[in-house]
Amino acid sequence: MKKIFLFITALCCALSLSACSAKKERPVTKPDGTLDKCSLRFSWWGGDDRHEATLKAIDLWNKKHPDITITPEYGGWDGWSEKVNSQVKSGTEPDIMQINYDWLISLSPDGGGFYDLDELSSQLDLSQFDNEVLSFGKVGGKLNAVTVSVSGRSLFYNSQVFSKMGAEYPETWEDLIALGNSFGADGLYPLDLDIQSGGTAWYLAVVYVQQQTGRQFISVDGRLGFTVEDIKAALSFYRQLEESHVIRTVRTRTDEDGNAALYQSPEFIGGRVAGVLEWGSAVGKYESVLPEGVLEAGPLLTDEKGCSDGWLIKPSLLYAVSKHTKYPDEAAAFINFMLNDEECAEILGTTRGIPASKAAETALQKSGALKGLAKESDDILSSADTMTISPYMELPRMKEFYNTAIESVSYGTADADTAARQMFDSINNYLEKIRK
Amino acid sequence: MRSRIYRNPVGVSKFTGLVLILPFIIGAVLFIIYPFVYSFTVGLTDNNGGMSFENYRNILSDSSSRQAFGVTLKYTLILVPLKLAVSLLVALLLNCELKGIGIFRTAFYIPSILGSNLAVIIMWQYLFTSDGLVNQLLSTMGIAPVGWYGDPDAALFIIVLLRLWEFGSTMVIFLAALRDMPKELYDAAKVDGCGNIRTFFSITLPQLKRIIFINLILQTIAAMQEFNAPYMITGGGPLGNTRTIGMYIYEEMFRYGDEGTANAVSWLLFVIIGLIVMLLYKFTEKLRRD
Repeated sequence: MKKIFLFITALCCALSLSACSAKKERPVTKPDGTLDKCSLRFSWWGGDDRHEATLKAIDLWNKKHPDITITPEYGGWDGWSEKVNSQVKSGTEPDIMQINYDWLISLSPDGGGFYDLDELSSQLDLSQFDNEVLSFGKVGGKLNAVTVSVSGRSLFYNSQVFSKMGAEYPETWEDLIALGNSFGADGLYPLDLDIQSGGTAWYLAVVYVQQQTGRQFISVDGRLGFTVEDIKAALSFYRQLEESHVIRTVRTRTDEDGNAALYQSPEFIGGRVAGVLEWGSAVGKYESVLPEGVLEAGPLLTDEKGCSDGWLIKPSLLYAVSKHTKYPDEAAAFINFMLNDEECAEILGTTRGIPASKAAETALQKSGALKGLAKESDDILSSADTMTISPYMELPRMKEFYNTAIESVSYGTADADTAARQMFDSINNYLEKIRK
Repeated sequence: MRSRIYRNPVGVSKFTGLVLILPFIIGAVLFIIYPFVYSFTVGLTDNNGGMSFENYRNILSDSSSRQAFGVTLKYTLILVPLKLAVSLLVALLLNCELKGIGIFRTAFYIPSILGSNLAVIIMWQYLFTSDGLVNQLLSTMGIAPVGWYGDPDAALFIIVLLRLWEFGSTMVIFLAALRDMPKELYDAAKVDGCGNIRTFFSITLPQLKRIIFINLILQTIAAMQEFNAPYMITGGGPLGNTRTIGMYIYEEMFRYGDEGTANAVSWLLFVIIGLIVMLLYKFTEKLRRD
């Protein structure tokens, strides 16, 4: 009996070691150019507006292609990247996925993590996209994903609160600080920044310092452009926003909202917090909790003495196909439908931002659906001198570094200098470790 | 009357026993031993794919992992004694013979059935927001509202309170033991003129020693593995003061994709829990024997 037990244990060790040393790669199914009968899984995250529109689009697809059934998998942003991360690592990911820009680095560092969409050009019309837009989805020369829309974060305000206060939307950083002081007298806040999944606090501080210095926070190839002094300036600026009553302190925000997102917060819905920094492609969830037409896009904040506009853009969403899918042609055909089909574009509207596909954008223009906050935000960003966000900036580990520094400065457990030095070292060490 | 003769359907040989327990062995190998060994090897795999103790060295030098271990120990030290005391107290109250006592026993057990599901978590979140029910109650009593989520100590207290509210399972074990106690002991104590307090310390508590130990071990293990409540209520904040080691493992594995660190921390937690249980066994050995 002892011998049997020892044998089993030894066998387990051997199997585990061999599993660690050589993970078996499943063969990639080659495209055959035909559409067969099958069922495909499609996953995305978003707010209710996006869910409803996407489900309607899937209904249209299922009517047009009764042989290829799409099974939807969707949810909110919180916990979504963790879910997809574990699915991809265990090889159980859906056939088609809506992915985030930084996932290309974390899930496909050499370009082999997703299906190469260049191989599926018989089903996927890539001519509808600019080369620059397509390049966002390329890793190691392989087209891992197609950009759905290019978007940036911009400022949106509760127009009712602003008109009640007799205030104009701020145009400069000085305006914003002055607004904080006037709103503060009535216990209101003109803006909200978070350190949770959104991480908008560090984002705005980066924009501010980029305008001051002209230096990009992190380059596209993953090198830290900020000095310790720049990081310190960003943290000090954040602290100034809290002290000027522009935003709630981390502690106040946590006490009032707990772990809930801003658009679910009574403080935002009730108008005590009157502004938000959000992606044009995701602002719908904030818009839908306020009366129609109340949320309005404001100008991008600038500094007259600054070097550049400093605001950032990125491919807000991308579609990718699992490298394990047995039906690459069918998956590509569905992506093509979601990106380029006119009827589908009208159903989806701007729930994923302004479409990067020329065909979809034209369809929306014709139908008069190219309007709303997403369009306003897009126009505002188009008129600015924007920079493309480095995908490294949005990696979850990097967000941890930002949030730790901001939280410690806000709580006063570290001064801006100490927090900046720690953050500088942490970011440099991490980037060095993961850089390709 | 003819006696029946039962024959062993698998025959009798030296492998009969092995054949009979084979389904269990297969299950244990596939779902327990293999994942254990696999997890250990992943924990020893460094970034370059080689075998080393790099992950363990990184964990020990990382301040956030040390903080997570500290938070977990603090949480365990606060929760477990409180939960045992409350469970025992309620079990003593529910041990009396009153009409309709079954309703109370069921009512006190309900929070344990609910567990940390989403509805309970949402209820908890709203109870403790700045204008939640708890602060409203405090203000009616003239006490200043507390920032439950923003204060590092208060945030941990909310989680302790949630788990304390779910004392039903521990209470049921105590109650079962109390109901099995020989009545003669209490009758003799009454004859000797013992009061309630003396009876509790001289009869009830000594009789419950083994049950207290079982509950102590079970609750310590559960508290050391805490994940759901801090993940859903506080997200580990503020300042990482409610990030338990369970949350740390989850974040390393699924948020940051660092399998090596996650598995190495899991093994460290396994060893620490094992050591704590061994120490509890050792220190309570004499008490349990007496």
